[in-house]
Amino acid sequence: MSGTYTVPTGRPEAARGEKRSASAIVAAIAELGGESGFAVKAPRRVEGRVEAAALHGFAAALRMRVGFEHLSAISCVDWLADGEFELVYHFWSYRDNCLVSAHVRIPRDTATMATLTDLWQPASFFERDIHEMFGVEFLGNEDLEKYILTDWKGPPPMRKDFVSRDFAHDHFTYKNYEPSWDEMIDGGYYSGGQNGGQA
Amino acid sequence: MSDIVTINDGKAIMPGANAPENREYNMFIGPNHPGIEGNFALKLSIEGDIIQKAKTEAGFLHRGFEKLMEERLFIQNIAIVCRICVPDPDPNEENYARAIEAIGGIEVPRRAQFIRVLVLELSRIASHLFTFGGHAGTIGLYTMPNWSISDRDRVLDLFEELTGGRVYHIFNMPGGVRRDLPDGFKNRVRDVMDYVESRLSEYDDLFFNNKILLNRAVGTGILPVDKAIAWGATGPNLRAAGFAHDVRKDDPYEVYEELEFDVPTAADSDAYSRLIVRRREIAESIRIVRQVLDKIPEGPVWNKQPNPLKWRVPAGDAYVRTESSKGEYAYYMVSDGGVRPYRVHVRGASVTHGVHILENMLAGARIEDASQIMFSLDACPPEVDR
Repeated sequence: MSGTYTVPTGRPEAARGEKRSASAIVAAIAELGGESGFAVKAPRRVEGRVEAAALHGFAAALRMRVGFEHLSAISCVDWLADGEFELVYHFWSYRDNCLVSAHVRIPRDTATMATLTDLWQPASFFERDIHEMFGVEFLGNEDLEKYILTDWKGPPPMRKDFVSRDFAHDHFTYKNYEPSWDEMIDGGYYSGGQNGGQA
Repeated sequence: MSDIVTINDGKAIMPGANAPENREYNMFIGPNHPGIEGNFALKLSIEGDIIQKAKTEAGFLHRGFEKLMEERLFIQNIAIVCRICVPDPDPNEENYARAIEAIGGIEVPRRAQFIRVLVLELSRIASHLFTFGGHAGTIGLYTMPNWSISDRDRVLDLFEELTGGRVYHIFNMPGGVRRDLPDGFKNRVRDVMDYVESRLSEYDDLFFNNKILLNRAVGTGILPVDKAIAWGATGPNLRAAGFAHDVRKDDPYEVYEELEFDVPTAADSDAYSRLIVRRREIAESIRIVRQVLDKIPEGPVWNKQPNPLKWRVPAGDAYVRTESSKGEYAYYMVSDGGVRPYRVHVRGASVTHGVHILENMLAGARIEDASQIMFSLDACPPEVDR
């Protein structure tokens, strides 16, 4: 594991200094160029949309130039009706005490995305999890092996078109957990018949 | 190639045996092992007594909560989210309720906010006491688990009286909490807090100043602050490296802003520092609980919501964070305006320090410290598996 990535050590210059307000962070993001759709959503919450191709550059700038050091999580949402996956990157700034959520939409049938493991090692778990549960391919992440569902052969189970009830009906035989005692007695279950007389 | 396999010194061993060219061999710890927190496995490559490489294996506790939640009504999920983390279930309930409240714009009465803080802090105390027992067990100090886990039971008695459940509480409802404090409950909480506080100095004598612990834990499993930040450590593991980040202070929720408490830190960032930070956090939690009991206002504990079987949460999303006993615990919830959540992503606190931080820290450690390092990080496998 540790040999796969270059783990950035040392804190970026931008992560030190005075605390800024959420609206100042929106302005700082706008200065990065290209990303103007960010707005304050709630106290200490900023969110906006980023094009899939621009995400890696945006994240690197957010880390090095705006000072967001902590990748809190990467979430994935399957918008089946739109034919898209939505990846939501949650970044936290220790300096400003503010969360930036960057929303990225990618097509569902060719679900690929650039990895962030070169910037944040914690991305490795989230990307591996999303790959396993949704089938999104993260280019540049060398450790996308199955983790939680090691023996799973079916489709990525968190996709909306995977219906667990249908899967269970198709793959498992029905077992009656409320048997009729009369039938069991008449059928010789307790009389030393085929099941060895468990009386 | 001859079928007599040799190891490096050229000495023949069992014919047909499949020995590697070097002296490395694999060792498995878990998924059922007293030195592992929960059902989790470590696959270690070892040379001599030194771990060369470590891989975690998860999935033994996967129950598919995120998928389940998409198929159940909002109110039904309250009963299952607490089961995601066994030793510290309440941050799940807190996050779930707070995510719905953030999306739906639901207000929580002040009295309910104080009760939520009370429950969260009691849960933190119970969880830390549990960890002390586990950590002591990994280095052969078997009196401490008996003490701390039986003391934890006193906290569970309080939960049983307040919520009806000892381990899982199913207590936070969107819009408040399920029940008000029973008569005389405040006094019983004070008694238990006095008791736990009096026990801390006894734990010092038994455990924290114990020579065996000092010999084994000081200088073991060092996680320097730059690596702790780069690898995404949170909670006590980050604070033990000297970085005072606490979600309760930096991203405050409920009434934490009105309560006085310190964020304990340590400088050495070894297994011992992480233990000491948790021990001091218990004292801070006791301080918070006492303030809650003094300051809690009168009033309702739940803002009545429409028929819970027909709850519709407006379309929207929210990312909510809670400081659990293990670190940053977050939920990302998306609602499409229906009666069920469209998506709930559970970001357990242990997904960093239970997976790649643990793997990185085990490389270079001694075999006998593997369990201790895992417990010193307080990794909770059910949060990873969900």
